[in-house]
Amino acid sequence: MAEKKIHEDQKYIEGLLQNNSFIIKAIYDKFVPKVLNYIKQNSGDADSAQDVVQETLVTIYNQAKEKNLQLTCPFDAYFFLLCKRKWLNELKKINAKEVTINEAVLSKHDSALELADETELFENKQLLFNQMFQNLGTACKDLLKATFKIKSMEEVAKSLGVTYAYARKKKSLCIGKLTKLVQASPKYNQLYY
Amino acid sequence: MNDQDYITFEGYISKTLSEEDIADFEMRIERDQDFKQAFKTYKELHSFLEYKFENEENSKSFKDNLDTISKSYFKTESTSKKVLRFAPWNYAVAASVIVLLGFFLFNNFSDPSYSNFSNHDQISLIERGVQAKDVEAAETAFNTKDYSKANLAFKGLLELDSTNTEYQFYRAISNIELDNFEEAEVLLGNLKDGDSGYKYKAIWYLALSKLKQKDYPACVGLLKTIPKEAEDYKSALKLLKKLD
Repeated sequence: MAEKKIHEDQKYIEGLLQNNSFIIKAIYDKFVPKVLNYIKQNSGDADSAQDVVQETLVTIYNQAKEKNLQLTCPFDAYFFLLCKRKWLNELKKINAKEVTINEAVLSKHDSALELADETELFENKQLLFNQMFQNLGTACKDLLKATFKIKSMEEVAKSLGVTYAYARKKKSLCIGKLTKLVQASPKYNQLYY
Repeated sequence: MNDQDYITFEGYISKTLSEEDIADFEMRIERDQDFKQAFKTYKELHSFLEYKFENEENSKSFKDNLDTISKSYFKTESTSKKVLRFAPWNYAVAASVIVLLGFFLFNNFSDPSYSNFSNHDQISLIERGVQAKDVEAAETAFNTKDYSKANLAFKGLLELDSTNTEYQFYRAISNIELDNFEEAEVLLGNLKDGDSGYKYKAIWYLALSKLKQKDYPACVGLLKTIPKEAEDYKSALKLLKKLD
C-alpha cells in the first residue's frame, strides 16, 4: 500500500493508546452526539448508542495497539462510519431483515471507507480468534497464556513442569490446532478472501 | 498441515531455523498456496495471542476507564434531556423571561465584552515526542483557566519548538487573559502574517484583545478584515453589529 499522509486527528488515536481520560472525554463530547443522533433516528436509544460507541472505541484501541493503526482521514468520518455500520449490523440481527447500508451518500472520505473496512475486518478476525481460542483444550489454553505472558520459554517450561523442548513444541502445536479451528470455521472464507 | 509444518512455522517466526531450512521454507511458501495460507493464519494468531496476553492489564484498565467516562457522559446526556422535559406552557413562561432579561441586559449593558466572545473550547494538544509531559501540563493549565501557568508552560515549549504555531496561538490567548496585551499582539501579529491554520483565528483574537482594552475603532477595523471562509466570520459579524 502506498504511503499516505497521517491525519492530524491521529492525536485521538494516540490519546486512546495512552488511556488519556482528557482525550477520551473529548471524543465523547465532540464525536458521540452525532452517533447518538443517528442511532436514535434509526430505531435505537441512548443505551444502544452507549454500547455501540464503547465497542467501537475498544476495537480502535486494539487495532491501534496491535497493528499500529494510522489515521489517514478525519477521526469523525472514520469513527462515525464504524459506529453506523455496527448499529446497522445490530439492527440486522434484531430484525433479521436486510438493511441497506448506503455508504456513498454518507461518507465523503474514501480513505475513511477504506480504513473502516480494515478496522471491521480486524474486529471480525479478533472475534473469531477469541471464539476459537475458547474452543481449545485447557492444557493448550494454559500453555499459550503462560508462553505469551512469561515470554521466556525456559521459565514457562519450569512453571508447567515440562522440559524446554516439550514446551516449545507444544506451543507450535497448540497454535497449529488453533489455526486449524480458525480455518475450518465457516466465517474463515469471508475474512480471508 | 501436519505437526511438523506448525513446528516449522514457529521456528520461522522465532528465527530459530537454520539457513537451509529458511530457504526450503520460503520456497514452499512460493509454491504451495495452502501452506502459504496456513502460515498467514498461524502468524496472525501468533500476533493476536501475543497482543492478547501481553496487554491484558493495559487493555483492562483502558476498558475500565472508558466505562467510567462513558457512563458519566450518558448520564449527563439523559439528565440534561430530563431538565428540558417540562410542560408546554412553561416554554411560554421561559421565553418571556428570556425576552425580558434580554431587553433588560441589552438596555443596561449594551457594550459587548471580551468575555462574551472569547469562548475558547477545551484544547487538546497531545503530541508524541519527548516533551509530552510539558505539553500536557500546558494543556491542563489552559483548560483549567490557570493562564499564568499556561503562559509559562507555552513559553517553555516554544523555547524547544519556536515555530510551533499552536503553542504561539494558545500562548497569545493566555496573555490576553492575563492582560499582557502587548505580548499577545506580537504573537498574534506574526500568526496573522503567516500561513498557518491560525491565520484568521489570530485576527479574531487580535480584535478580541482590542475589545478587552475597549479600543473599539481598532477592534472594528480588525473584524472587517476577517474573510468569509474564516471559522469566526459569523461571530465577527455579530460583534460588528453590536459595536456599530
